[in-house]
Amino acid sequence: MTAIIQTEKLTKSYGSHRGVIDVDLAVEQGEVFGFLGPNGAGKTTTIRVLLDLIRPTSGQAWVFGIDTTVDPVAIHQRIGYLPGEFTLYDKLTGGDTLEYFANLRGGVDRAYQASLIERFDLDPSRKFKEYSKGNKQKVGLVAALQHRPELLVLDEPTSGLDPLVQQTFFAVVRETVADGHTVFLSSHVLSEAEKACDRVGIIRDGRIILVDRVDALRDLAAHLVELRFTGPVPAGEFEQIPGVTDVVAEDHVLRMRVSGPIAPVVKAAARFEIADFVSREPSLEETFLAQYSGRAAG
Amino acid sequence: MTAPATPAQDRLPAPRSRPWSRVYGLGSIYAKTMRDSRLAFLIMAGFLGGVMFAVGAGIPALLSTQTARDDVVRLASDLGSIVAGMAGKPVDVGTVGGYISWKYGPIFLIITSLWSILALSSTLAGEAKQGSLEFVVTSPFGKRRIAFEKLAAHVTMMALVLVILTVAAWSTAAIFGKLPGDAIPIDAAIGFALWIGLVALVFGGLALVLAPFIGRGGAAGIAGAAVFAGWLLNGFSATVPAFRIPADLTPWAWTWNHVPLGGQYDWASLGFTAVVAGVLLATGIEAFARRDLGASRSVRSPSLPRLLRGLRSPFSRAFSERLPVAIGWAIGLGVFGLVMAGASRSLADEFNKSPDLAKTFATIFPDFNIATAGGFLQLLISLAYIVVGFAAATLVSGWASDESSGRLEMLLATPLTRSRWAISSGLGVFAAILVMTAITAAAIGIGALGAASDAVTPMAGTATIGLYAAALAGIGFAVGGFRTSIAAEAVALVVVATYLIDLVVPALKLPDWVHQLALTAHLGQPMVGIWDPAGMIACCVIAVGGLLLGGWGMRSRDVAR
Repeated sequence: MTAIIQTEKLTKSYGSHRGVIDVDLAVEQGEVFGFLGPNGAGKTTTIRVLLDLIRPTSGQAWVFGIDTTVDPVAIHQRIGYLPGEFTLYDKLTGGDTLEYFANLRGGVDRAYQASLIERFDLDPSRKFKEYSKGNKQKVGLVAALQHRPELLVLDEPTSGLDPLVQQTFFAVVRETVADGHTVFLSSHVLSEAEKACDRVGIIRDGRIILVDRVDALRDLAAHLVELRFTGPVPAGEFEQIPGVTDVVAEDHVLRMRVSGPIAPVVKAAARFEIADFVSREPSLEETFLAQYSGRAAG
Repeated sequence: MTAPATPAQDRLPAPRSRPWSRVYGLGSIYAKTMRDSRLAFLIMAGFLGGVMFAVGAGIPALLSTQTARDDVVRLASDLGSIVAGMAGKPVDVGTVGGYISWKYGPIFLIITSLWSILALSSTLAGEAKQGSLEFVVTSPFGKRRIAFEKLAAHVTMMALVLVILTVAAWSTAAIFGKLPGDAIPIDAAIGFALWIGLVALVFGGLALVLAPFIGRGGAAGIAGAAVFAGWLLNGFSATVPAFRIPADLTPWAWTWNHVPLGGQYDWASLGFTAVVAGVLLATGIEAFARRDLGASRSVRSPSLPRLLRGLRSPFSRAFSERLPVAIGWAIGLGVFGLVMAGASRSLADEFNKSPDLAKTFATIFPDFNIATAGGFLQLLISLAYIVVGFAAATLVSGWASDESSGRLEMLLATPLTRSRWAISSGLGVFAAILVMTAITAAAIGIGALGAASDAVTPMAGTATIGLYAAALAGIGFAVGGFRTSIAAEAVALVVVATYLIDLVVPALKLPDWVHQLALTAHLGQPMVGIWDPAGMIACCVIAVGGLLLGGWGMRSRDVAR
């Protein structure tokens, strides 16, 4: 497979403020890559470097094999971009706005543009300033999609969209990928990444802490175990077991996180009178939160 | 769900309120509003205080003998009906105070009124539009209290500026006054400052009342138009009787007899003005309290024809975005030019009636005949330079808003280089300036023809005004290439500095090289056909060079969000 996006030790700092540090990424053609991280982690900074809106302090980034600082226009010809926050021309209608961006790019298939407007249920006759937040987001999405770009770079694309329009958006993303195009999207919403992405990268405090397939990420997850005892809770017995962390005792209930094999916990539990035993694989969201808080589940 | 709770040691500490945050203006709505207007305060205090001090220093030097003062008194009384159109009421103009009030009084009043309009139209309606007011109104304060605190902050800031103006008026006359009567008593200085402040609050109050209904832009536009309309209607009501009734509805007319710097007081008119201002401000507070937050109705402006919507390129987009602003400035400039060019006929009539007067003027202005449209307009050219200068600043501000609003990020994600954006959109601004200049020239031409005067010369001279605006825009582009957020401010700074140099250098008899620093010193007397090619070429070079420099600067820096 070909790397559509690649970064190597990409670092961006704003004076004394951290941006991103030593970011290494590779996004392959035809995949949906989710870029996940908490607020201020460095997602938008990375995206803006990829688009040459800001320049790296050190390291390099390539899109379509082109150094982002050498020929950004050649990159921009082949991408569609939706910023995380944007405003457009208040006095123009949504339709005028889309026409302007179509003119700047050239070669937009008007029928496809019209189909996107219809699918996103956008009224193009209203002025931009009159749109709700969600409708402004729809204008941005259509502007990013209307020229069928080879690479879509979307910064929190579902922000402000209602669930029905979100469904439409994910359907469009699937179609885009089916055509062999690539999607790079940042998000806070794990269920989105779970639904739409092939792979995800997690960034925290400006550093990439994990890049893997969505399935593999879930595999990394620890089991969450909850034991209900009929008698006193023998918390100490379980704290000794390798791989057991976050042991919390409440009345007759003992909760713990188990990384690795669960058999030692089962054996230890068998020595006591148990009223209930629940073992559950955490959702991707819980794994994600564990990563955020600095305690990788795997 | 058994997701682990975040351990206490991992949590960030809650920010503590710093004891001195109240001093920073974070202790109340009132203090925060004061804090937000500190830059405007500095500009206004510097401008009003600086101009007052400079002209107070310059007048005794310029009119240093009693004979010169007597000439000025005679001119002011002989030209009453005409000069009143652009100046204040001539009372005791042979003194420093009377002369300042007559020649510069309206400028002080207009500038202060515009400040009040901008502040009071935006403090509530502007914040409502951008959404920050929703956070404030959901704090445990009533809407009336919020409006009152914001209004009180503006009044406080204005009071502080007026104190500075008062001190400047009193001290400049005390330091530089030469002839008997030059001193400005403190009660006269206070009376002048009160006049400025109360009339400004009437117009600001009008904006405050209108803003909840028609939004910030519409309210500021109507109140601003009222300032200029009142000035012109009142000034020319003696010449055009039909202006009398509408003029009487404005504070310009109510306070016409209040000329404290000339020793003439009309406290009752100030009292009436204060009552009107108070009623308007109270109505504004009540309107804000009763209306839905941010539910204003925009003043519908006619849609541009499709050809002018600017959907083809950054050039056409920038031109289309800037065109309404340029036309607005052009209407203001054009009306002013038309009226002034037309008024030159009255001046010619006065000269015909009084050959002595014509001779006196010929002595003062040996290079041209001010009884022509061009000659009369040349007298007012410094005012035109200020107006087009601020027009250029607003146009550059619009150009810079592509970046400050975040639009540029989306534009540059298309196959558009940064330089091409900067240069194409800058050319769009130049095109808007061209339209503004053409409309102004046309209006001047109509006025000159109405006065049976030469129309071609002043129309051609208007090109110089356009070139000056283009040069200022070029300075803005050059600065914006490196930092768009200060581009318009840089232009405004150059405009004010140029005006002050023009004003102060001859008055204080500073070396000529200081005067040469002002671009306007190199523009000749274009309204009467005296051109300075070097200055015009300099304008072109600054305009084009600034644009190219801006394009180059954009290439090598991060795009801001």
